[in-house]
Amino acid sequence: MKEKGQKPFSFQVQTWERYHNNFSGMVIAPTGFGKTFSVFLGVVIDYLNHPENYKRGLKLIWISPLRSLAKDLAKAMSTAIEEIGLDWEVAVRNGDTPTNLRRKQERLMPDVLLTTPETLHLLFSQKKNSRWFKNVNCIAVDEWHELLGSKRGVITELAVARIRSLSPKLSTWGITATIGNLEEAKQVLIPNKEVKTTMIKAKEKKKIEIISVLPDEVEELSWAGHLGKKMSSKIIPIINAHNTTLIFTNTRNQSELWYQILIEEAPDLLGQIAIHHGSIDKKQRSFIEEAISEGILKAVVCTSSLDLGVDFKPVDCVIQIGSAKGIARFLQRAGRSGHSPFEISKMYAVPTHSLQLIEVAAVKEAVKQHEIEARYPYVLTYDILVQFLVTLAVGEGFKAQETFDLLINTHAFQWLTPEEFDWCIHFITQGGNTLKAYEEFHKVVLDEDGFYRVKSRRIAMMHRMNIGVIVGEVMLYVKYFSGGYIGMVEEFFISKLKKGEAFVIGGKVVVMKQIKDMTVLVKRSKSKKAITPSWLGGRLPLTSYLTHFLRLKLSDAITAKKRERELNFLHPLLKRQQEKSHIPKHDEFLTELIKTKDGFHLFMYPFEGRLVHEIMATLIAYRISKITPLTFTIAQNDYGFELLSDQEIPVNEENLTQIVSKENLMEDITASINASEMASRKFRDIAVIAGLVIQSQPGNRKSNKSLQSSSGLIFRVLNDHEPSNLLLKQAYNEVFDYELEKVRLHNAFQRISESTIILKRAKDFTPLSFPLKVDSLRGTISNEELGKRIERIQKQALKA
Amino acid sequence: MKKRNIVTKLVTCFDEVLEVTNQRVVYWRKENALILSDLHIGKSAHFQRSGIPIPSSILAVDLSRLEELIHYFKAEQLIVVGDLFHACYNKDLDTFKVWLSSFKNLSIKLVKGNHDRLQNRIYEAFQIEVFSDFLQIDSLKFVHDFSVIQSDAFTISGHTHPGVLIKGKGKQRMKLPCYQVTKYQLILPAFSLFTGLNTKDAPRGCKNFGFTESAIFEL
Repeated sequence: MKEKGQKPFSFQVQTWERYHNNFSGMVIAPTGFGKTFSVFLGVVIDYLNHPENYKRGLKLIWISPLRSLAKDLAKAMSTAIEEIGLDWEVAVRNGDTPTNLRRKQERLMPDVLLTTPETLHLLFSQKKNSRWFKNVNCIAVDEWHELLGSKRGVITELAVARIRSLSPKLSTWGITATIGNLEEAKQVLIPNKEVKTTMIKAKEKKKIEIISVLPDEVEELSWAGHLGKKMSSKIIPIINAHNTTLIFTNTRNQSELWYQILIEEAPDLLGQIAIHHGSIDKKQRSFIEEAISEGILKAVVCTSSLDLGVDFKPVDCVIQIGSAKGIARFLQRAGRSGHSPFEISKMYAVPTHSLQLIEVAAVKEAVKQHEIEARYPYVLTYDILVQFLVTLAVGEGFKAQETFDLLINTHAFQWLTPEEFDWCIHFITQGGNTLKAYEEFHKVVLDEDGFYRVKSRRIAMMHRMNIGVIVGEVMLYVKYFSGGYIGMVEEFFISKLKKGEAFVIGGKVVVMKQIKDMTVLVKRSKSKKAITPSWLGGRLPLTSYLTHFLRLKLSDAITAKKRERELNFLHPLLKRQQEKSHIPKHDEFLTELIKTKDGFHLFMYPFEGRLVHEIMATLIAYRISKITPLTFTIAQNDYGFELLSDQEIPVNEENLTQIVSKENLMEDITASINASEMASRKFRDIAVIAGLVIQSQPGNRKSNKSLQSSSGLIFRVLNDHEPSNLLLKQAYNEVFDYELEKVRLHNAFQRISESTIILKRAKDFTPLSFPLKVDSLRGTISNEELGKRIERIQKQALKA
Repeated sequence: MKKRNIVTKLVTCFDEVLEVTNQRVVYWRKENALILSDLHIGKSAHFQRSGIPIPSSILAVDLSRLEELIHYFKAEQLIVVGDLFHACYNKDLDTFKVWLSSFKNLSIKLVKGNHDRLQNRIYEAFQIEVFSDFLQIDSLKFVHDFSVIQSDAFTISGHTHPGVLIKGKGKQRMKLPCYQVTKYQLILPAFSLFTGLNTKDAPRGCKNFGFTESAIFEL
């Protein structure tokens, strides 16, 4: 390395030393500074010094969340090893690895294996798998921050725990970008008290420049809306001024639309601009990625699909369209440009409506103060536990006590009770606690030697197909009649499409011809009118960190300093808000009552993100309807929510404090929301992970038709027949923890209770309320009974 | 178990009058018969065999619902338009056999569905009269899944598990099981509660009779 004129960074040297002294730990460094080589070379150097500590076979397991990273990483590692003159073999194993290579690896494992958490679990489901892991020296988890806050984090924890149990001298290292809860992140990955741990932070900082793209006049920017098409004329010059620009949008739908908009605005870009998102065919995606690396492309419109992954050297500019929803995401995306250590990452923020400019100001402030979001780990995910137990039973079989001990030594299952563990054992051996009911159920069998095993080949096979926690929508491949895959769309979207209708995918207009074997056959179309698919998901709320800064920025927006370009630009709008109503200071909570011809509106602005607002709106509606029974229409966005009624809303200065009080919070919430409907939605993933629903793969001809059922149906059945089922309990827990964001909700009401409550009455919409008025996401809260509701809906439908 | 609230509604099919109920069966007074479809007996056991734990009490509930309806209407025959059984012979069928033996004078006619793939001797053992394509009684023609509708007979079928989606203002949505009725045909909802709802493939111009625990209404 040194010969090449590369001098190691001090955090790398530090990692090598600590690894050498048998530490486990975490390395925190910005991208582009050689994080990989901190841990990887640590292992190599230690081997060179103490070859006697290393045995034949697997020495280092390298887990990364993305398959696409593995190939390039393996290449870099192999080169380094060659230069050093070692005879180590580096290999990749994941879902894309061909069978013959896998068989070869199984005969003799490479010295370094780059893999994913799911693939490790798949290895656990093979016969005699423990021999591969007996002499592993180190397990490194790359991009740990990406895994931590998801269920994939839990399967990573389990994989590490099992490998540690087979190879007790193992060191565990996490490599992560900065997050708000680094200490916890380390604890989760290395929960073992007997292991020496360390935290190594790089001193090197990535310089980031955030530039907001402003229209010429504040009036040009709409108060609401989400596309910001008018800004396209401002984007083209930015693209032209740089080598390669990544243009991030928040949803696949928006990326398709923006691709069309840019081509329309600058037709000469055709051929130099590409589109990249998760539903575009894998081959085409890697083709685009290569083209970026080679610097052929001028711009790529993308989604979070390019948040992570291989470094693109030519990218020297990033444009974010709309809100990035969080500080970490904003920085992650900014970091995709100017990738080498001392270059500056340049990020242009394009607002899609005026209030988003305050968000940009808030992100800038957060960056200045080095504040960044925490990622909270999942705990007690029974679905994963059930899956893991079956995985072990398919592999070598497991003993109850040993496995329980392994589990309670992980972070995710440290609070697992013996009763819950027994329930899970019952669940996989007899189908649950209602014993007698499952005479034909023999998924896992207890053998006389005390091992739990899976006997049926069919069940083993079905389980292997189902390992992992990434549960997708049912997707169908999109393929030309003449051959050639374009991408994937959700069944949900296709089912609404009629034969011969045109739609846009991957920037191409095609017409649907036929659906066959989970594949949509299409033909190219010249049709001007085409639908852009709206893929589900992708409506993230603003993070609480960002909203905190948002409230601060808004608080002193009207008296902003000259340097705050965004706030100065917004001044006319902010002044109007102040005149018509009020701009809430950081210790104030604003409520607006507005009467229009549509009816009576109540607006509240907690600035807590969409999800929390949805729950708050339902709760406030419930509390108001306890004063006078009313039916409300609800709308919410990331800033606040609206209740609309055809009758006067009985809210005044006297009762408002009571209506937003934190007393009886959870009781009122439970009474106001339809928890079972929300839990049923959460149950979708749980049912698949726990093996209750068999997923069908896109393009797959063989679907287990007679075994197909929807998770909603199973949820209903279990609710009726086995209400004590732990997986149901988990679904409700997930609703409260993730959907309702219980902690955040509590904090929000705590904050409101400490704030000055301000009630303003306005004659027409204020700049803050207008976006809510036009927001299309509306729900209704109603206490009417089912029959009456149907009757009423029916009448409405007839009128329309 | 709480008493079911059985609500009926008269539907004229050519020259026959049928009573559709909110209990997923149709009563034909003239023949003193209950017409139903898609019981899927054996489905929960089939799932269990494949390692998917589905409570067996589903079948018990389905059968007790049917029992109550037979007594309520004092029906003497069941006309099942397919998918009586879900898969191969499993212990759910033994449960069904025991249940069946408690009726003295109940005759069962089955028009075979795509799931009814048991050997004929099993149907014989259950004393079920099997029709492999269709069964015609007077002007009513019973099939599992209709393909072509003829104008000389009124077709009664099942198979699709019809449901109806009700949409209201403010994104309100609700799915209910239903009967789909046109001038020439009637599609039955699935009898078993362990079935999903299909809101997509409705025959052109059909009326939907949706129902809840307490009511049945045209949508």
